[in-house]
Amino acid sequence: MNLRLETFNRKEVLQYLRWAGTEIPPEVDGLIDSCMEETLRVSQPRFTYRILPIDRQAKTPELVFIGQDVPLMLSDCERVVLMAATLGNGLELAIRRAQVRDMARAVVLDCCGSAAIEAVCDAAEREILAAVGQSVYLTDRFSPGYGDLPISLQDSFLRLVDAQKQIGLTVTTTHILTPRKSVTAIIGLANQPQNKRFRGCAYCSMFETCAFRKAGKTCGRE
Amino acid sequence: MERTLCYLDGAMGTMLQKAGLETGRAPEMLNLTDPEQIVRVHQAYLEAGAQIVYANTFGANREKLAREGLETEQTVRAGVDCARKAVEAFCAAHPDAPRPRVALDIGPIGQLLEPYGTLPFEQAYEIFREVIVAGNQADLIVFETMTDLYEVKAGVLAAKENSDKPIFVTMTFEPNHRTFTGCSVDAMCAVLEGLGVDAIGVNCSLGPVELYPIVQEMSRLTALPLIVKANAGLPDPETGAYSITPEAFAQEMAKFTELGACYLGGCCGTAPEFIRELVQQTRDKQPAQREITRRTVVCTPTETVVVDGVRVIGERINPTGKKRFQQALRDGDLDYILAQAVEQADAGAHILDVNVGLPGIDEAQTMIKVVKAIQSVTDLPLQIDSSNVDALEAGLRVVNGKAIVNSVNGEPEVLARVLPIVKKYGAAVIGLAMDQNGIPATAEERFTIAQRILQAALEHGIPKEDVFIDCLTLTVSAEQDKAVETLKAMQMVRDRLGLHCTLGVSNISFGLPNRTLITTSFLTLAMAHGLDLPIVNPNTAAIMDTIRAFNVLYNRDRNAEVYIAACTQDTAAAATTQAPVTEEKTTLPRAVEKGLKDEARRLTVSLLASGKPELEIVNELLIPALDVVGGRFERGEIFLPQLINSAGAAQEAFEIIRTEMAKKGSGTVSKGTVIVATVKGDIHDIGKNIVKTIVENYGYRVIDLGRDVPIETVVQTAIREDVHLIGLSALMTTTLANMDETIKALRASGHPCKIWVGGAVLTPEYAQKMGADFYARDARESVDICREVLG
Repeated sequence: MNLRLETFNRKEVLQYLRWAGTEIPPEVDGLIDSCMEETLRVSQPRFTYRILPIDRQAKTPELVFIGQDVPLMLSDCERVVLMAATLGNGLELAIRRAQVRDMARAVVLDCCGSAAIEAVCDAAEREILAAVGQSVYLTDRFSPGYGDLPISLQDSFLRLVDAQKQIGLTVTTTHILTPRKSVTAIIGLANQPQNKRFRGCAYCSMFETCAFRKAGKTCGRE
Repeated sequence: MERTLCYLDGAMGTMLQKAGLETGRAPEMLNLTDPEQIVRVHQAYLEAGAQIVYANTFGANREKLAREGLETEQTVRAGVDCARKAVEAFCAAHPDAPRPRVALDIGPIGQLLEPYGTLPFEQAYEIFREVIVAGNQADLIVFETMTDLYEVKAGVLAAKENSDKPIFVTMTFEPNHRTFTGCSVDAMCAVLEGLGVDAIGVNCSLGPVELYPIVQEMSRLTALPLIVKANAGLPDPETGAYSITPEAFAQEMAKFTELGACYLGGCCGTAPEFIRELVQQTRDKQPAQREITRRTVVCTPTETVVVDGVRVIGERINPTGKKRFQQALRDGDLDYILAQAVEQADAGAHILDVNVGLPGIDEAQTMIKVVKAIQSVTDLPLQIDSSNVDALEAGLRVVNGKAIVNSVNGEPEVLARVLPIVKKYGAAVIGLAMDQNGIPATAEERFTIAQRILQAALEHGIPKEDVFIDCLTLTVSAEQDKAVETLKAMQMVRDRLGLHCTLGVSNISFGLPNRTLITTSFLTLAMAHGLDLPIVNPNTAAIMDTIRAFNVLYNRDRNAEVYIAACTQDTAAAATTQAPVTEEKTTLPRAVEKGLKDEARRLTVSLLASGKPELEIVNELLIPALDVVGGRFERGEIFLPQLINSAGAAQEAFEIIRTEMAKKGSGTVSKGTVIVATVKGDIHDIGKNIVKTIVENYGYRVIDLGRDVPIETVVQTAIREDVHLIGLSALMTTTLANMDETIKALRASGHPCKIWVGGAVLTPEYAQKMGADFYARDARESVDICREVLG
């Protein structure tokens, strides 16, 4: 499914750029605006999802959720959504092109891509919620590579949602999603409101690449 | 054009899932474990009226089968055997029916090709070759559900070079008439017609209603027979059920005969009853005659250039007479070449000429590297420029799209050598109006050669619209009477042969004062005489202005929209660049600290002009300025974009210094060489690229091996180039293992070197555990490491 993205969170872009509250000079401000505009222009946001029934042990016949985190998240759920989303190739070309003549632009575009794919996931979640009907509640989004769920799960995850055919999303032999600005996530469907269980760095999609975490700090995002 | 309908089968996967195959498992497994089931599905389609059945080999390639522990040759053979068995049974039961055919069905490999993924073009070719060789018992080869035209090209070449079977290609389009990778219908037609496939079309993704406008577009753009294999409508995301009935499907599919489509079948969600219904509803129909628009097109998958007016070919990627470019080629410095590509694209070039001819380098290998690199940063079509046939072929092979060959001339031997390659790869070709006797003096003689070239091209099966003529121009100061002959010749080629003309325009003014005036005046005259494809420097504003003005005067730029937009932009740009000058007197260190690129460039030029030695500029001005910025960054006073902007400004200054030193042949600024690489398996390279930019600006030469770098490449390069400081980056926990392996291999080689590592998931402790000498938290710390090791 295609999705129209109107905007995404500028503050998140600044966080990814490791902005620590210093004065932002006007040219950098302008650069961020222009990169956000380009990101929206060249991205082709798409998502797909599949709903599977799960049993009491939070197992599906199709996919075994290794670890403790996912079964815990799904403890109130009878169904689970496997969602995959991508911004497509366009932004990658823009980032590579920018690296040739303007590395600062490339870095800002890269951070815009990270913020934009989060916004796509939020929008996809809203559409899924609308599709599953009233009095259904969503759990957190949980991705392979978070917590104790191994990233190697990407391969069978993508096969299950037929991601290449549905949205053009594939995985490398080292389990990296390509195009790169893409996300896969597991979301439980419950009949009662769900608490946010997973907070903090281990459950963030930036976990692998976050500069704050590396420096022993956090971005402060909830 | 074929005027009879031929029926294809419907979905295989849908049938197998109905029979109990788990989603996510490879259906090709059944070729070996339950061949009878596969034969039954084929038989059902044959009984329903299918005349071509697709063997159950869609995903039977090395990459996809490995997960199931299956082997390609065996699985493909078994799949084709199943289809052949079904055909035998059908023929036995229906002795009077024409014999149905078996297609070797080939789907996407399942991994993205470079540069979006990690699969090299050559490896994609190999994977397809295996399937094609194993499937040699089929009657034809079908590529389907393809979204990446580059992958299709690898497949079609593999098929052409390893089989003599007909080749069909269907791609999967979205409602915006593009595939997921952005490939347009236009580009698909241009490239696949050029590569000589036998039929093209669409399959999957959408139902027949939604596919109609896409096929409508395709039917006007290609003369090839058309294939439509639509889904049974659209699927429900929860149940996976498709939306339309066999009757409705057949009714909609019948409409494709009006567009001239002759191969009809079904994709996801269809079953034998869909095909039976389709046969019944279209039995008396004939594909309509199509009207094809013949146009001159060059393209990449995402960018199509139709030559129906003046289109600019950028000439800058060419080492002739450029010391700095030659040095970049010798050093393998692709960044410099890429900068030339992007600069021309930004300046408005439509096509980029690529020439890497330089004595002493392997031109074919260099061509491959450069073409691939350019394709990773721009989507402009390319013109492969060489007098070396091997380099031409090497370039054409890896080009993603339809290219131009520059060039052939009227010499029979050259025509015989180059035209077959042009034909094989489906390129357009430039014919120089000269031969073994040189450039003829008169327009008439040049015209005669042009005629000869066209004739030869047609004999090789190259269509007329893909032949461009270069009537050649000499310096007007040397041969003043010849410029007019060039103009006359172009007019004759345009009016009498109906061909497009191309011409390198810059030479005309050589040796005269105010060259731009002569060049632009000649350019205007030439365009009026038939020049559609000027080969020029698009970075020269006067050239582009002249072309825009011409397009206004010739009523091609409606309401002068493009012209006015360009003028407005110029005024705006002038206003912003003027602003900082009025503020205060800027020095080079200040320009670097503030990240002002234009200022940095301007000030460096004037410092050099005032006689300041290059190395003094580097050591006394640039590096101290970068230190100031680095210190601010460390203290958190500025953040990443500002640090990089400063590096960018310093880079501009460095570029001018490098060019100056290359010109004088006075050595380099290098303080030592380092290697940087993002390790095997990892494609997150932006951090490594930042490190490279900043380390380079401190005067170190950086050999950038790129991303997903094989372990042995790191070791071999270190030894060959005698480099003793190596930086490795990895951004994923899963690829840290490869970093560890790379370090081990470097140590095992016995080559003395220091290794520094970085990347978000790394910690100093882990770096030490892996045996790295240094851990760098960021680009700034990488500079400190270079200083410590290399001084």
